[in-house]
Amino acid sequence: MNTSKMNTASPNVKITRRGVKMQFEGKISFKDRLLMRLTSSTFWIDRVWYLFRAILLIGLCFVILYPFFTKIFTSFMAYRDFADPTVNMIPKHFSVEIYKQLAIDDGYWGILLNTTLLSAGTALVQTFICCMIGYGLAKFRFKGNKLIFIFVIITMAIPHSTLQLSMFQHFKNFDLFTIQSLNWKGIVQLVRGEPLSLLNSFAPFFVLSLTGLAFKNGLYIFMMRQFFQGVPDELEESAYVDGSGTFRTFFRIILPLSVPMMITIFLFSFSWQWTDGFYTKLFYPTTTDVPLMLNLIQGVPDALMHQSAYQTFYQEAIFNAGGLMIIAPLVIIYLFGQRYLIEGIERSGITG
Amino acid sequence: MSNKFSKLKSFLPAKRKLTLSERKARRGWFFVLPFVLGLVLLYLPIVVDSIVFSFSTIGRKMDPVTNLPYDWTEFVGLRHFKEGLNPSFLTSLGEGVVNLIWEVPAIVIFALFVAVILNQKMFGRAAFRAIFFVPVIISTGLMEAVNAAGTTADAGGIDDGTGAASGADQFISMMDVQMLFSNMKVGTGLVTYVIDLVNSIYDIVNFSGVQMLIFLAGLQSISPAIYEASRIDGASAWETFWKVTFPMVSPMIFVNAIYTIIDSFTRQSNVVMKTIQEIYDNTSENVATAQAWTYFLVVILIVAVFAAFASAFVFYQKRDS
Repeated sequence: MNTSKMNTASPNVKITRRGVKMQFEGKISFKDRLLMRLTSSTFWIDRVWYLFRAILLIGLCFVILYPFFTKIFTSFMAYRDFADPTVNMIPKHFSVEIYKQLAIDDGYWGILLNTTLLSAGTALVQTFICCMIGYGLAKFRFKGNKLIFIFVIITMAIPHSTLQLSMFQHFKNFDLFTIQSLNWKGIVQLVRGEPLSLLNSFAPFFVLSLTGLAFKNGLYIFMMRQFFQGVPDELEESAYVDGSGTFRTFFRIILPLSVPMMITIFLFSFSWQWTDGFYTKLFYPTTTDVPLMLNLIQGVPDALMHQSAYQTFYQEAIFNAGGLMIIAPLVIIYLFGQRYLIEGIERSGITG
Repeated sequence: MSNKFSKLKSFLPAKRKLTLSERKARRGWFFVLPFVLGLVLLYLPIVVDSIVFSFSTIGRKMDPVTNLPYDWTEFVGLRHFKEGLNPSFLTSLGEGVVNLIWEVPAIVIFALFVAVILNQKMFGRAAFRAIFFVPVIISTGLMEAVNAAGTTADAGGIDDGTGAASGADQFISMMDVQMLFSNMKVGTGLVTYVIDLVNSIYDIVNFSGVQMLIFLAGLQSISPAIYEASRIDGASAWETFWKVTFPMVSPMIFVNAIYTIIDSFTRQSNVVMKTIQEIYDNTSENVATAQAWTYFLVVILIVAVFAAFASAFVFYQKRDS
């Protein structure tokens, strides 16, 4: 209990939520009040904690942002700055040469368009599908519910490289319900006569998204399931009593309710698809037809080739600039979306 | 006649109508249908094929009738495993597991700590939160590759582009910590652990974004009434954390630990994943698949052992029902 030493006349002590409140007969002077505050131990402990917290948070923010700053600074350096030992961090000769060449060489606007279409499309599909699956797993007690949930977790836990070869083969000769190594004929082959090649198109991404099997979808389904478990059953029950069917309840009541959470998941899936390199490489063995973000960090434009000892540093700057060009649109989206990201999670009441 | 039948009918058991909950349960299948279809039609075949590929080689053969080449899988037994589980792979596997053992507690504790701080009311909280979640959104996938390229080029970690290794991620030097610990009579193991931890703070911050979000959500879901009660009973902030916050978020700690294990194992920048990818690109895809399956078994084993061990310590608040 907070026992403060008081030399003044015995006060009328009142314990409130904020702490101990003392009411004196008559008024106390400002000086006395200040003295009281300054001599109390909690006041100082609090101040020290605030200071420590502020230093810690600012330091960590610095750690997070520093690499971006260095990347930004070096990417605006002219080539001669790399040969100049006095240049450190801040460019002496400002230049947008790297960006210009990268944009021309790789066709940045095409890349931007393609990637936006792919990311936005798959993210929308994934958000909706994962929401559906999560709802089904959370709110319906059917046989096999737990088994399906275990499968969801397993799809998350299998490393990509395990399925890399087989996934490539399966999308090269796309077929449903087939085991290629045993020469089973799948559904597509029975209907069409031969399997379909889905490589070098967006189709594999959408197939995986539509079935909740795309990158990190296990996590989204898990998050959605936890979210729906926190939604009281009474809400649906009252809708049923009022004559609303299962699907109508889902679309009219459950979906609007889960919008904050869906925005969170949309942000995740959008940005993780945006920066994805693994599946893009896998499903686009030839990257020339449909340029995607991956192209920006592959190779150096001819115009930026120099024969000199500083080329390695310059190449790294080019690489960094490519990385910045990849994330620049994401940063803009994040600036608008981050509020929802945190709000969605906060309101979700995800529990373990 | 009809009378007779109706009499007969009444003896038969009436066709049971499905109860509301049973009908509702059936509709549950509709919601999980996309996943189930994908699982059965696409995913499980891929998994089975992947297992087969790790025991066999794909070759091309000429069809004697049509004279067209076709893919042919030849069973080779454990050859790929024998080839794949070479000392260099096992070393990187061991390294991966050791990395995991120090990384997981560090990430979970850090995420919890930051989440508790970011949950407090303070000036500029929204800005801090926004910055802390930047890595989740941005430093993934291709950016990991970009960052990794920066670190390999000059071994200095964060790169300032001028070529001189800035060493900016070397926040404290070995010497400082050794001096600090030399009086405490602790082993060098702890010293290197602390140094590794501090120097890889950048990685820890980068990899703990999702965990932070989950912890924040968990902290938000704790009823303020519990805090109020503990305050009235005179608990200090320290006691409140250990007796209220910690047990209440223990399910989230469990979930996060498992998520962290899986996430750091399946991350592209993981040592083992890099090794496998190299084998895949350069040597043999089948050997890489065999290695990856071994790796997956190790992951699952670790997750299972951890889950069995840790689930005893998790506190679940009984939901009022």
